[in-house]
Amino acid sequence: MKYQSFIGLEIHIHLLTQTKAFCACPNQYGAPPNTHVCPICLGYPGTLPAANAEAMRMSYLLARALNCELAATCTFDRKNYFYPDMAKSYQLTQFFAPVGRNGWFDISLGSETKRIRIHDVHYEEDAGKMIHAGKHSLVDYNRAGASLLEIVTEPDLSSGEEAEAYVREFRRLVRHLGVCDGNMEEGSLRCDANISINLPGKGLGTKTEVKNINSARFVRRAIAYEINRQAAAKDNGETIVQETRLWDADKGITLPMRTKEDAHDYRYFPDPDLPPFSPDDAFLADLETRLCELPLQRKQRYERDFSIPADTADFLAEDQQLAQLFDDCVALGAPPKVAANWLAGTVQAQLKRTERRVADSHISPQRLAQAIALVEKGRLSASRAKEVVELIILEDRDPEEIMTAHGWEQTSNAGEIDAWIAQVLADNEKVVSDIRGGNPKGIAFLMGQVMKRAQGRADARLVKEKLEQALTGQ
Amino acid sequence: MEPLTLWQNLLRDTERKTTWAQALAKRDAVIRSLLEFHPDGACAPPHSEGAFQGIPFVVDSRIAAEGFRLTCSSRMLADFVSPYSATAVLRLQNAGAQVVATGNADAFGMGASTENAATSVTRNPWNNDCVAGGASGGAAAAVASGLVPFALAADTGGALRQPASLCGCLGLRPTYGAVSRHGLAAHASSMDTIGVLARDIATLRRVYECIAGPDERDPTTASPTPLASSAQRVGVLDDLSDLSAPVAQNYRDTVAALRDLGIETRPIALPLLPHAVATYYVIAAAEASTSLARYTGVSYGFRQPDTATPEEMIRQTRSLGFNDENKLRILLGTHALRAENYPRYIARATQARAAIRQGMAALFDNVDVDLILTPTYPTQAFPLGTDAPHSIERKHADRYTILPSLAGLPAASFPTGTANDLPLGLQLIAPPFGEARLFDALGRILGDAPCPLPPTMTALGGQP
Repeated sequence: MKYQSFIGLEIHIHLLTQTKAFCACPNQYGAPPNTHVCPICLGYPGTLPAANAEAMRMSYLLARALNCELAATCTFDRKNYFYPDMAKSYQLTQFFAPVGRNGWFDISLGSETKRIRIHDVHYEEDAGKMIHAGKHSLVDYNRAGASLLEIVTEPDLSSGEEAEAYVREFRRLVRHLGVCDGNMEEGSLRCDANISINLPGKGLGTKTEVKNINSARFVRRAIAYEINRQAAAKDNGETIVQETRLWDADKGITLPMRTKEDAHDYRYFPDPDLPPFSPDDAFLADLETRLCELPLQRKQRYERDFSIPADTADFLAEDQQLAQLFDDCVALGAPPKVAANWLAGTVQAQLKRTERRVADSHISPQRLAQAIALVEKGRLSASRAKEVVELIILEDRDPEEIMTAHGWEQTSNAGEIDAWIAQVLADNEKVVSDIRGGNPKGIAFLMGQVMKRAQGRADARLVKEKLEQALTGQ
Repeated sequence: MEPLTLWQNLLRDTERKTTWAQALAKRDAVIRSLLEFHPDGACAPPHSEGAFQGIPFVVDSRIAAEGFRLTCSSRMLADFVSPYSATAVLRLQNAGAQVVATGNADAFGMGASTENAATSVTRNPWNNDCVAGGASGGAAAAVASGLVPFALAADTGGALRQPASLCGCLGLRPTYGAVSRHGLAAHASSMDTIGVLARDIATLRRVYECIAGPDERDPTTASPTPLASSAQRVGVLDDLSDLSAPVAQNYRDTVAALRDLGIETRPIALPLLPHAVATYYVIAAAEASTSLARYTGVSYGFRQPDTATPEEMIRQTRSLGFNDENKLRILLGTHALRAENYPRYIARATQARAAIRQGMAALFDNVDVDLILTPTYPTQAFPLGTDAPHSIERKHADRYTILPSLAGLPAASFPTGTANDLPLGLQLIAPPFGEARLFDALGRILGDAPCPLPPTMTALGGQP
């Protein structure tokens, strides 16, 4: 590589608060236009914002999880600019004292771990949405005043791949903490990238900001495109212009949007309507109880302690409910690898097929551990166990109860098995004589016949043993 | 009998109410203090029976009362009907009082004469060729004329105290945070307050007690810490050289009257008085430039039709919706807030404000005065429609009302007689949440009787 690349990300997340950032309107999307609005988020004269306690808790929690220095007092500041989607013509944000500063976040790059520094975490309100319809412009203020958190990294990422890894890891984090649903297509997690390149040792170059990237994959592609574009420009002796560019996903390119000359002076100014927020000891203590093991740490623990393959460990760690189910199941004595395979295989497939999440299914650590134990004890065959596990997702019943109700318990009654074998041998004299004549090919066929007769209730190991005895012992 | 009780008697039946309404309309045709008058209120009758049952009151055009136009006396909001009521208005309505009119003012509270209003100029009830003062001149003129027993008005840098002084009634600006600002169209949020205009202490006190107290809709409201109500020592000024002769003489006479009442007076100097006006105008203009940015014509208020783009619509709407004084302040504030100017203006003004706050606190704590007596305004009401005093001089004249505004302190202007057939008024300043101390002192100075009505006005069919 001729050039070194410097990438910093600005990620906006919609917090999962019940109400908007500074009023009591529902913090929801998809409602008919201008139905989730009130005089406060419409910026009517005389209305005043009031800070949202839940949003402050979520903001401090994420800043804490990102190892930031937490503000003893954070301020709310006005960012002034005119645009029809901004009801008050200023955005309430945090400029002078954000919730968190100087943090870091580890991401996994193959076998390596890379530490990305966090510049700051600040709370702000969203704008409305402009819709241009022919000669008219319409505004939907449902989103105006929605609670947002912006997380700004230092330019520590050096490729599209790293940025994609950061976004994926970050998304897992916010989902784990329950502060954002992490949905990039619907815009609840939005990512802008600042990109510059320079000859090695020359420090940061002139940066461009790329906006409108709405998937983790596009983060990688947009950055790769932009790095190549800048490199080609430099190679041609052109000067990189500091500008904002738009990612066009259809064409796979970035396009200029505005240059620095168009940049606003936002006239930042402490909002006189909102007193600063100072968390007390109880608030901060509460944060500690809400911090959980982070996805990357969890994944690494699964690999290290349980020798679970990387992709399975990654899969489990991604979904907090699944990961919790796994941990609890192992705590109940289930062999980790077996439990992991059930969760990554049958459980995941059934959840997907029935469009459920762990929380709205009937599976529990006890039930999964019981199903695994039934197999281990030879009371349930592997194939019946799959059916049982599928059913514990749908039905509020224990595995043992399901097994009994369906008559799926494997028999270890020797007499019963002997009778099935005798019958099968009698029905297949030709095969039996071939085997006894030295051709063992038919054994599998006879096995299948016995199992069929047993309707799955026979312990295959026992049947095999007895069948072999019957064939050779006579 | 308390004046409010007299008003209840005055308006107890429809016939009497009609007489009052007709007399009010006739009188207001001269002074033009009200913008909208509905003798029976604009919407539903008051919610419940209470201490204020049947009492009519006026709200400043910057205060929201559901069903009334929240015009801010501007072209921008000329037709904007408020969908909600200010907390202070609601509290009075819940006690039985009824909004009957909105009071004229300088648009968005910017001005000192109510000449900067969009529709009409309010006249001083004592001399119709003089200004009523401002910005909240309409509400003060209405109360001073005895049209209604009291009004709620905005006060940022003296908007209700100065016209109270010029029109001859009582005007209380409460401690910042004592009364919810919810429903007060912002001019400078860090100094805006809703205060009370009245003609007698009992009414002033009862209205204040009704509207004060924390409100979850305004996070800057606070719970008052109790403060001893009695005033033993009053800080007084030695240097009266910047006052007009009648105001200076009146000040000296009032100091003497305080001593006669057994109140000790102690000489003080006001902190940073020469810098107060610059400090105030930087902060107020900066806050106003962003608070008034919401008036764009997009979702409410005046909108210039048929523009090519949304950006052009905003530009033209603002160009036509604001008056020159509004634009001057918005430009000043925008300039002061620019990133490169921030240290020179905002940072220094913020420092000066902190010093004023500390200086005022030191007077109460170190010099050990309970209240401070200052002029409200250096002059009496000045003639209407002239360039004198000049706009800049008028801003400088706000210095005495500005100090408590910058420091967040409660202050009341009270009538102290007349000179040249125009009212005189002075200001008492108290420490934070010292309203009870103000009422106590004013009661001793003024007694129970209402302030005198202007000589040309006779009582409206039996009101005080």
